[in-house]
Amino acid sequence: MQKPGNSTICISDAGEPWIRGFRCKKCSTAADKHTLACRRCFARGSMEEYRAGNTGKLVTWSIVHRSYPGIEVPFVSAIVDLDDGLTLKANLTGCDAEDLHEAMPVTLEFDDAGGAKDKEGNSFVAYHFVAQPIAEKELSQ
Amino acid sequence: MSEVYIIGADMIAFGRYPDRNPAQLGGEAALMALDDAGLGIKDVDILYTGSSFTAGASMSQQIMREIGQTGIPCVNVSNACASGATAVREAFTAIKSGMYDVAMAIGTEMNPRGMLGGGGSDGLTPEGIFGSGSMPAVFAECGVVHAQKYGTTLEQFAKIAVKNRKHGSLNPKAKFQTEASLEEVLASEMIAYPLTKLMCSANVDGAAALVVVSEKKAKELGMDRAVRIAGSALASDPWEAHNPELFDPNSVTRLAAKTAFDMAGIGPQDLDLVELHDCFATAEMLHYENLGLCGDGDAARMIDDGEVVLGGRIPVNVSGGLIAKGHPIGATGVANMVEIVEHLRGEAGNRQVEGARVGLSHVLGFGTSAAVHILQKA
Repeated sequence: MQKPGNSTICISDAGEPWIRGFRCKKCSTAADKHTLACRRCFARGSMEEYRAGNTGKLVTWSIVHRSYPGIEVPFVSAIVDLDDGLTLKANLTGCDAEDLHEAMPVTLEFDDAGGAKDKEGNSFVAYHFVAQPIAEKELSQ
Repeated sequence: MSEVYIIGADMIAFGRYPDRNPAQLGGEAALMALDDAGLGIKDVDILYTGSSFTAGASMSQQIMREIGQTGIPCVNVSNACASGATAVREAFTAIKSGMYDVAMAIGTEMNPRGMLGGGGSDGLTPEGIFGSGSMPAVFAECGVVHAQKYGTTLEQFAKIAVKNRKHGSLNPKAKFQTEASLEEVLASEMIAYPLTKLMCSANVDGAAALVVVSEKKAKELGMDRAVRIAGSALASDPWEAHNPELFDPNSVTRLAAKTAFDMAGIGPQDLDLVELHDCFATAEMLHYENLGLCGDGDAARMIDDGEVVLGGRIPVNVSGGLIAKGHPIGATGVANMVEIVEHLRGEAGNRQVEGARVGLSHVLGFGTSAAVHILQKA
């Protein structure tokens, strides 16, 4: 059995993973959790589920050289705004550190969390971001 | 409403105390602050204690078992890195309310070893998959925002650590009392770009305490060494795009600063010194702008031009800050105010900011809270 690696990941009956966001009916603010009221405009019961897309832009990052015991380094910790409003954090691949820049286009790709398993031997579904230098070139032309 | 004065302030030297416990450290700081005020525990009407890693351990009551159980109300405060300053603010409001004449605020902490932040989860360990939750990585990400917006360089962030280590060399209670050169800071282990190890706060144990009193009591005890709390503000993070995935230390600090300045009826230009929350060098850079010490985008120039060093236009973290003095989580906010009090009294020794009359202390608690206090010579 595959388990979602965090609370934003849903897995359909057919085994297909997707990212679940919530959007306020009144002010359109997106959040990664279903909250009692909108954090921004305070409207109660206004957060509606939506299926987030898989493209976005890089907001900021750090190249992590020391992490906790057992975690492989270095890796790029990236914060990304998905194009439909959700902000997510995950590792980023496919780009040299010196080429990282704000608003760089990225895609979200699902993975198996590096083969991690829980105590019962279940695998996980996670995601990472992949830099899209080709798409970026097209944008600048 | 009564004005509120600090009449006792002290802290233990920050470092590692493997054979002690947080109640002993807090108790020791409390007795030092009481001695400074010329009072005893029997004179205290109410006690607030801030701690983070021992939240839920009734630290105030444990401290009273160390220094005397008088039966006064005890309040235990946990607000991450803002725990100590939150305790002071509670003491301030208790005196301001008129219900009490003498309140004590203590901050005490014995930090766990290693790198803070991250934390486990019931399911998949997120670290290294969903980015990093380590505190250095989180504050590195905030720094990269500034670098992308204003062109701030690794060297400029590093200069903040050089400055604070220089200040720490003048503070006998600092964890690090030696200077570190720019080359040394840059050559130390890269933790999370752009933060090297020497640009991270020192992970230590410590405790600090303040005795806070009403105007009536201050006059009774003598105003010579009294310091007035002119502004006291606590804010939580307002909604901001990207937060909390991108930790936002900015809007919450600006909110607390505005409230504190409005309460004190002064502005950043009136300050003689600032102790701000340099948990990481990137954070200090952001807070120059957040606290209004300079305009947006001007922070890197301030460090380049030496405006924030002792003897500069507005000295920041002359105690050595969290980078050199150390950052025992719950004690930090109280210790920042102890430093300001020493300067306003003219008792800060060879790191004295000459003629200091107004100082600001700031802390930022992850999760998120910011506390700003403005202290004035009485």
